[in-house]
Amino acid sequence: MRLVTSSTVRFFFILLSAPVLVFSALTITIPSSNLLPNPHALPAGSHATLTTLPSSPSPSQLIASLTRSATFVFAELPTQLKAQSYLLDIRSSDFIFAPYRVDVATDGSILGIWETFRANPWDNRGPEKYILDATIAAEQSGGHSIMATPDVTIEARVLARRNFYEERPRFSPLSLFKNPMILLALVALGFTFGMPKLMENMDPEMRAEFEKQSRSSPITGATRNAMTGGAASGKFDLAGWMAGATPRPAPGTEGVAASGRDTGVASRRRG
Amino acid sequence: MRLQATLFLLASCVPSTWAIYTDEVDHIDYHHALLGQPTSQSTFFLKPSASSNASLLYTLSEDSLLGAVNPKDGSLVWRQNLTRFAPPAAQDGVSGLLRASEGTNALVSALGGYVSSWTALDGKLIWEKRFADDVIADLELLELEDASTAPSAKDTVALFGGKAGVVRRLDGNSGHVKWEYKDESGDVPLQLSSSSTEVFYIALQASARKGYRIRVVSLDPLTGLPTQQQILTSESDVSGPGSVVFVGANTAAPVIVWSDAAHKALKVNIIGTKLVQSFDIENTSGESIRSITVHTPKKLESLPHYLVHYETASTTWAEVYHVDLRSSVVSKAYELPRLQGWSVFSTSNKDANVYFTRITQSETTVVSSVSHGIRGRWPHQSPPLEKAVHAVSEVVAKGETVAVRSAAALVTGDWQLIRGGQIEWTRYEALTGALAASWVETDGSEDLVHQLEVEGHESVYKAYVHRVKRHVRDLQHLPEWLKGLPNRILTSILTDEVSNLDSFGISKPVIVAAKNGRVYALDAGNHGAVSWAVKAAEKDSWDVKAIVAQPGSATIYADDGSSVTLDVTSGKILARTPGTAIKIRSVAVVNDGAAPVTIGIKEDGTPLESLDLPGFFVTLSDDGRVLGWAAKDNKTPVWQFLPAQGEKIVHATARPAHDPVASIGKVLGNRSVLYKYLNPNLALITAVGKNTATFYLLDAVSGRILHTSVQEGVDPTQPIASTISENWFAYSFYADVTSSSSAKGYQLVISELYESPSPNDRGPLDAASNYSSFTSLPSPHIISQAFVIPEPISHMTVTQTRQGITTRNLLCTLPLSNAIIGIPRPVLDPRRPVDRDPTSTEAEEGLFKYNPYLEFEGRWYLTHSRSVAGIKKVLSSPTLLESTSLIFAFGGDVFATRATPSQAFDVLGKGFSKLQLVLTILALSAGVMVLAPMVRRKQNNMIWKTSL
Repeated sequence: MRLVTSSTVRFFFILLSAPVLVFSALTITIPSSNLLPNPHALPAGSHATLTTLPSSPSPSQLIASLTRSATFVFAELPTQLKAQSYLLDIRSSDFIFAPYRVDVATDGSILGIWETFRANPWDNRGPEKYILDATIAAEQSGGHSIMATPDVTIEARVLARRNFYEERPRFSPLSLFKNPMILLALVALGFTFGMPKLMENMDPEMRAEFEKQSRSSPITGATRNAMTGGAASGKFDLAGWMAGATPRPAPGTEGVAASGRDTGVASRRRG
Repeated sequence: MRLQATLFLLASCVPSTWAIYTDEVDHIDYHHALLGQPTSQSTFFLKPSASSNASLLYTLSEDSLLGAVNPKDGSLVWRQNLTRFAPPAAQDGVSGLLRASEGTNALVSALGGYVSSWTALDGKLIWEKRFADDVIADLELLELEDASTAPSAKDTVALFGGKAGVVRRLDGNSGHVKWEYKDESGDVPLQLSSSSTEVFYIALQASARKGYRIRVVSLDPLTGLPTQQQILTSESDVSGPGSVVFVGANTAAPVIVWSDAAHKALKVNIIGTKLVQSFDIENTSGESIRSITVHTPKKLESLPHYLVHYETASTTWAEVYHVDLRSSVVSKAYELPRLQGWSVFSTSNKDANVYFTRITQSETTVVSSVSHGIRGRWPHQSPPLEKAVHAVSEVVAKGETVAVRSAAALVTGDWQLIRGGQIEWTRYEALTGALAASWVETDGSEDLVHQLEVEGHESVYKAYVHRVKRHVRDLQHLPEWLKGLPNRILTSILTDEVSNLDSFGISKPVIVAAKNGRVYALDAGNHGAVSWAVKAAEKDSWDVKAIVAQPGSATIYADDGSSVTLDVTSGKILARTPGTAIKIRSVAVVNDGAAPVTIGIKEDGTPLESLDLPGFFVTLSDDGRVLGWAAKDNKTPVWQFLPAQGEKIVHATARPAHDPVASIGKVLGNRSVLYKYLNPNLALITAVGKNTATFYLLDAVSGRILHTSVQEGVDPTQPIASTISENWFAYSFYADVTSSSSAKGYQLVISELYESPSPNDRGPLDAASNYSSFTSLPSPHIISQAFVIPEPISHMTVTQTRQGITTRNLLCTLPLSNAIIGIPRPVLDPRRPVDRDPTSTEAEEGLFKYNPYLEFEGRWYLTHSRSVAGIKKVLSSPTLLESTSLIFAFGGDVFATRATPSQAFDVLGKGFSKLQLVLTILALSAGVMVLAPMVRRKQNNMIWKTSL
């Protein structure tokens, strides 16, 4: 019987003490987003921290582990000598979360939560996430609040996903054909094989005209000379060609011209 | 917009190949994810989900790490570090408790005053409660099914032993306190036990004369009100909490077992009854009994049978007792034979059946609790097991035959799973919290080094002759080499491995000294497997101060002045020097000529002996001074440095012993040069005040302060890390809003030292090629930049390469993310233009716009997706390849990798496909073969037709 009474007394004591010890819990939920479709798949090491410069008796850092409902819960924000402004960080190995600013009153109730920007002045606050209702605040300052401050729930925002790995370039034939050198070689190959065929199928008159044209063009003449190898190149005046001189004055040009004409005649004869 | 532009610039400056390729994972790195030595009372097999039959192995280790291990391969499923969440004051010397109930997917753990519940499948928090003033003494899960609890969650009863014993029932879903029972009598709270109908609180009541009486209070599980109380007369036997052998938990008939001081009789009481039964202990061995352990099944529905395990110095045996539930009488059922050597017992349940598993050095046997017939016997395969400390087992019965797997914690600190006499896996938990590590050279390369040394010291002609002789001698290996050549070419084309880099010092073995006095060698070529482990310390634990590696051997110095030299290939102890009475604070290693010389530094910072060598030491004393010594004199320091009033030195660091500088200047975009301030004798001292951190840059020869940087608003309880290399130093800390700074967060500061502020000018040094620390040491010109970083850095070091040509990476340990990152130095360039875009000359230099926030990019993570926890120290070592630096991290987990800060420019990577190269050559040859006749014909035609 004695024990029963003592426990009732304690019960009353707890009731009385409840408004004095205001513990408002801060819950951070992770909504599913495009970057993070399933927040329940976050690894067990994910956690949130509230950090500030310590003012005894509160510790400098509070830490909350990921719960099974994909939230972080700071159940008891400590009471302290002066109001504190905490930096709320959420860390998970694969995702980068936005940091927040959490202002906490001396009795451990939350005054407001804003997004914050790292490496910016601390007073430079982002969008407001939560702010203590003015009426409740007034009641509290009156010193006889019956109800505890409400528990606060905010949503965390995923900024980016961390990519640890580098993709190794895979060998693919398509990438080979994207190479300009290979393309050049292929075009050259096409000409080597295609030109004679084309020439053969050409109308005789057109071919004659084409050959005449190609002969008059200095570059084609030079290329032809180069292609014919050492024997022909001996006759080619490279310096003259480079200087932009017409091939005519050179002594060897006549021979080339004649040979060209002869070829033409020969093929015509064949045809 | 601007941020995007910055990010783009950053992306364009940093080569993309700094990250790890997916196929390099497990190839260039290895990781031992450790838990620590499992504790006997908090380790068990458990089926986490009711739907699946698969079980996991759970433990709360001595290092307060809670984790789940897959019993199939020994891999870690998840883990949580409870010390991170528990209030730090209540953690000292407290071992944690872990309880679980099958099929509920929930574990309940307690450490100090912190009670938490975690999901068993993936280690996520269900609830947590902090009881600031109390320290938890016992924890039980209530197995009863009553209307107030949902069947999915089991409530917890916890006994706190602060000033008075408090029993609390905590809700299984939320952790809220349902009721509280306070024992104000001043008795010593001992343990809790629960049956299906009652919760028992067991305390020790000091008797008038001596000893303790055992007091059992029955509590109503619904209200927490005491219903009845029994006081057992045990004062003649029980002299303290350690005398009670066992308090049965969660069984149909929980018992209290104790014995008299002489271990002559075993006293048993069924909890809730007054009767104490006494059994004579039949000890015929002639030796005194060293320990008595009781093993009971842990499930409510299992048979009320239990096993008492007796151990003397050389023999072990066990007795099995049955409890008759109707008459509440305990009777001895049978005895397991006395065997020489050690044995460990474990219990397992299969429905109501109880099995006892006995593991000895030679075999594993399983008996049923009902009769003494052996149900299964598996002789152990060689090599014989090391002595086990405790074990947990899981028995699967199929008719009369049984199968068993046991996880045994060995005295060596290893954790092994034994199944059917075979060792399935071994976890080297002793590596947790390793004290020191070092790379070692095996004997092979020693010979060549010696030969080259000889050549270096000879005259030119003699050296030439020596060299020719050496090459002629080498010819004898030619036939072997030729024989192996086709095989080598073939395998190198077909296999994934491009080139074997072992000869470049890439897979050097590492030796690690563990806390328990053992030394492990990790084989880098084989995923960090342990190639040998030996007990090197003569005591059970040691504090290793240094490991000095020489070719073929390694010497380990402990804090008592003793040292052990080991052979690095076999682990054989080659030499041992005894310790002295003087405690050593650290060991200084002087690399002079052939053998390194070591000198112990006493606690007060004085070197133990003087050396007849030129040189100097800088030591820290335990009263917070920095002392500079000349090597010749160990009596009086040359200089001493005291930080400002109210400051305490927390860290000191100097340039690494191997810190080559490739270029003495920094070439700017306009081809002018900023000369680096390269003083080899720099020391960076960190001192903290109440809310400040001061970083002093000292010249270690003269003790002169070259530079001081004071940071305000710093939290000295948060990690402060610093490092120094080449002509720059870096440090990080947590700083709050102060009058001078308005930002809040972790900061990283980088400072570079130059000889003068203007390029092409060496300032006071001018054309001097050398200078003295004593006479006219010029002060450096320092350029600094600070960055805000997202998380704390607990340790910093720098990658080391052979010549120092490769860009350095700043290696930072992130204790909260469980990662190690390498921040490229070009990102941390303090000359990055602030508030403007870089000019073209600056862009040419590789500078890009300063952004005060430095986000850690994913590709800087050397640990990539691995969770590398608890790292205390990171080592870096050069290899024979200039591009590659070896990295080894220890202190919690063990992790090793290779870093290539400027890409692997001197190695053909995996991206180089030899097969593709061969195919291309073949295709080209085929093309040439096809085209050659055609061209020849054409040329022929050309000539013939021309001459026609």
